[in-house]
Amino acid sequence: MATSIVDATSSASMDSIENLTELDEIKKALEQLGKQEVIFGYSLIAQFSHTGFKSSQNFKFSEHVEQELKALLEHQDTLESKMNGLHKMLPNLQILETDSRQLTSMISFTSTLAENVSGKVRKLDLAKSRVVECSQRVEDILDLKFCTDGVQIALQNEDYEKAAGHVHRFRNLDETVIRISAETNEVPGGTLDTSFKQLYESEEKLKNIVHSKFDAAVHCQDVASVERFFKIFPLLAMHNEGITKFGKYLAAQISEKADNNLKLALHTPENDKRAAVLFADTITLLFEGIARVVEIHQPLVETYYGPGRLFGMLQILQKECDRQARKVIEEFKSQRKYDALVGDLTPSFFSITCINPRELDVILSEIALISARAELYMRFMRRRALGDVELAIQEVENRKSTVAEVEKFWNGCELSRLVQELINVYIMMEEYFMREMILKAVSMDSSEEGQQTSSMVDDTFFIVKKSVRRAISSSNIDGVCAMINHACTVLEQDFREVLYSRLRAGFPSGFDLQHAYNIVQASITQGKLQSSDAEKVKARANFLMSLNNAEVTCDYCKALKDNLEDEVSKLFTQCSEQSKAKLESCLGDLGTVSGRFKDVVDFGFSQLTTSAIKPRIKPVADAFLSTSHNITEEDFSNYEANDPWVQNSIVTLDNMLSTFKNSLTSANYEAFVSLVTTEVTAQLEKAVGKTTFNRLGGLQFDKELRGLVGYLSSVTTWTIRDKFARLTQMATILNLERVSEIMDYWGQNSGPLTWRLTPTEVRQTLTLRIDFRGEDIKRLKL
Amino acid sequence: MEDYKYLFKVVLIGNAGVGKTCLVSRYTKGFFPPGQMATIGVDFMIKTVEIDGDKVKLQIWDTAGQERFRSITQSYYRSANALILVYDVCSQQSYESLPHWIHEIELYAGTKVLSYLVGNKIDQADKREIPTHVGREFAERYEMRFLETSAKEADNVEKLFCSIAHQLTAQARDLELRPEQQNTFVTGGSTPISPPGCCKF
Ligand SMILES: Nc1nc2c(ncn2[C@@H]2O[C@H](COP(=O)(O)OP(=O)(O)O)[C@@H](O)[C@H]2O)c(=O)[nH]1
Ligand SMILES: [Mg+2]
Repeated sequence: MATSIVDATSSASMDSIENLTELDEIKKALEQLGKQEVIFGYSLIAQFSHTGFKSSQNFKFSEHVEQELKALLEHQDTLESKMNGLHKMLPNLQILETDSRQLTSMISFTSTLAENVSGKVRKLDLAKSRVVECSQRVEDILDLKFCTDGVQIALQNEDYEKAAGHVHRFRNLDETVIRISAETNEVPGGTLDTSFKQLYESEEKLKNIVHSKFDAAVHCQDVASVERFFKIFPLLAMHNEGITKFGKYLAAQISEKADNNLKLALHTPENDKRAAVLFADTITLLFEGIARVVEIHQPLVETYYGPGRLFGMLQILQKECDRQARKVIEEFKSQRKYDALVGDLTPSFFSITCINPRELDVILSEIALISARAELYMRFMRRRALGDVELAIQEVENRKSTVAEVEKFWNGCELSRLVQELINVYIMMEEYFMREMILKAVSMDSSEEGQQTSSMVDDTFFIVKKSVRRAISSSNIDGVCAMINHACTVLEQDFREVLYSRLRAGFPSGFDLQHAYNIVQASITQGKLQSSDAEKVKARANFLMSLNNAEVTCDYCKALKDNLEDEVSKLFTQCSEQSKAKLESCLGDLGTVSGRFKDVVDFGFSQLTTSAIKPRIKPVADAFLSTSHNITEEDFSNYEANDPWVQNSIVTLDNMLSTFKNSLTSANYEAFVSLVTTEVTAQLEKAVGKTTFNRLGGLQFDKELRGLVGYLSSVTTWTIRDKFARLTQMATILNLERVSEIMDYWGQNSGPLTWRLTPTEVRQTLTLRIDFRGEDIKRLKL
Repeated sequence: MEDYKYLFKVVLIGNAGVGKTCLVSRYTKGFFPPGQMATIGVDFMIKTVEIDGDKVKLQIWDTAGQERFRSITQSYYRSANALILVYDVCSQQSYESLPHWIHEIELYAGTKVLSYLVGNKIDQADKREIPTHVGREFAERYEMRFLETSAKEADNVEKLFCSIAHQLTAQARDLELRPEQQNTFVTGGSTPISPPGCCKF
């Protein structure tokens, strides 16, 4: 029993006491401790008395108690000091408690107070805003009074800006509110009512004054006053009236200046150095004048009228521009006898003598210039209008319809239409001019001694380039496209037809070319030439010249396209993606024209092959046929010294090629050599097929072939070995020791060699060797 | 390189206001444009279609009908593979202009050009002035193909351009099979078409 009590006080409770923080708990613990002490005391006494009597039996027990007591006594110090500490703390805790209580009540008091205050502030706020509104009304009414008086005084002093300022201020007042707030203590005819009435009257009066003063200022050309009153309109909420009046005023100035300029132009002497572009200059002056007016007055409009008003003014200026431009263009037409020219362009009256191309040239340049200036000017106006729209309407979506309106206005304005009409005629005239001039170039075609091409090619391309470049200078994209289209047509159809028809006549054959060459040489030295021969020589020279013309035309087409592409790209900065795509498409078509002339060259060469190459190669092949290739050792060594065929053939070919060499452009000469080679191989292959060979004959043929390939390779930069592939392979076959040897070259053993001969052709070639047996050949597994 | 097998040029002509621009818009963009501005000069759109596995690019040139753009539009006739002459079935006047347009075609276009006569705006049935058979007979007289359309209701628009694409592709394939025809010297896809006297070099 006792042990449990000792245990409880000594160990477990000691720890928990140390951890106690709350006052109540500490007290309780103290009480508890006190109680335990008493109990403990009793139990000790009891135990001692008990031990006294039964010490002997309980010796073990007393020993145990002693130990426990010892342990308890050891703790006594700490317990005591703890108790002392607790006793000291006690008064502090009591203070703390009272303090906390005070604090709580203080906080709750403050919070109620705060709630009260904020409610009052809210009320105060409302009251304050009412007061502000109220004072605003009062101020408004005072303002009204002030305005009413101010307007009168300002009007009397002719201080219209001030008067308008008052009206503007009064206009910004909320009339209905003023009237409502005054309702309670105002009767009709009261001061407020009178004030309003007076103000309205003054406003009307001021409006009239501003109108008439503005008109008067315009009338006496008093620029300062014009601008002075222009600035007053927006104060009176008369933005549109102001813009219209001012626009008309500026338009009148433009009109006057334009009239003078046109008069001056019409009195310009014919020998003036600007006479050829007189009307382009005059219309340029008009455009520049308007642009200047815009430059000067745009800031005025923006400052006093705000953004979004400029388009209105530009429209008025454009209408004036339309009127003036029409006058200039009408004068241009009548002075330049334009209508007569246009009439002559219609196909029914078409005749070469009708229009002087030189006259046309001048007019065309002037129209291009007028168009370029107009495009530049309209771009300027559009840009200015759109810039203002962008300032006025921030949202891109919302401004779309206004932007479209701006575009539509300048697309549809009369100037735009006038220029479109001019360009329409310009294209007709320019195309006519281009054709006429090319026709002239063709009819005056000539060539200098030693030239491979004639003048018409250079001239034609010069003219085409001139016409299209002039169209480009007009800045009218559709005009440029149309002229590129016409350039394609005139080259691809008309000019091509000229070259083609000259080649269609063919290359005159019938006598030896070397002979012809000699005749020409003789004629140069002796100055005489038999007529029929002379004609043939001339016809041949013309044929080759045309062939050369066609060849260089291919290159010229490409060069023209590149050149125009460069020029056209200068327009790209100022045109839309759509326009760019149009230009590129039309230029692309020009790029394909070159190929059409390649056809002409091919056609010319096919003519040449028939009449010049084939007949000249035939004797060479014939000579091969008549040279035996079934030869003895003796023949073979004899051939070494006196070549039976190939040397002569090379001389013949060389004569032929050299006569053509000087008459053909280098590209055409290469093509010619290539065709000759093709013909030689074709005819020789046939001849070989009709010839019989022995082993030495085969060897001889191989030598001959090497000679021929060597020669032809030396006269051209193109590779010709490929053309000889079949013949070379035939020579290999004809050179075999035995039939079976072919298998060293065939199939798996062919190595880098690609056979151009079919198995049948290989067998056929083998049979040409008289010393090969038919059964051996048949037995081959090819 | 661009990835298509054939490129064909299709040119639309006819009086202003008959609906050329709307037809092109309906076909290439799939919608009927509200508040269309009148075309200035020429405009072009691209549409790529597939014909039996081949990509075919149609370059569609939309022209302005007014007289003052005539010389611009004329310059496109010669290289056209197909021409679509449009009139408005609700406008007698646009029908009466057709002979004038036919004359232009004869003067400037190649002989091999595929030509269609198209009567547009058939959605306005109550306003119709030109009966179908009148249009068809006119087309037959000039050996043109005939179709009536509505750009607004998308009637026959797809069909018009598709059949053009099909026929031109068939022609081109035919030419590929017989290449010698391509290289003959009778000036290829078109005939000499200059006004009398101006190209007698
Ligand atoms: N009802 C109807 N109106 C059309 C049709 N096609 C075009 N339009 C209208 O006809 C007018 C002229 O069309 P547009 O395409 O600009 O003619 P374009 O001058 O030939 O290009 C526009 O107001 C169009 O809305 C159609 O199929 N039906
Ligand atoms: Mg249109």
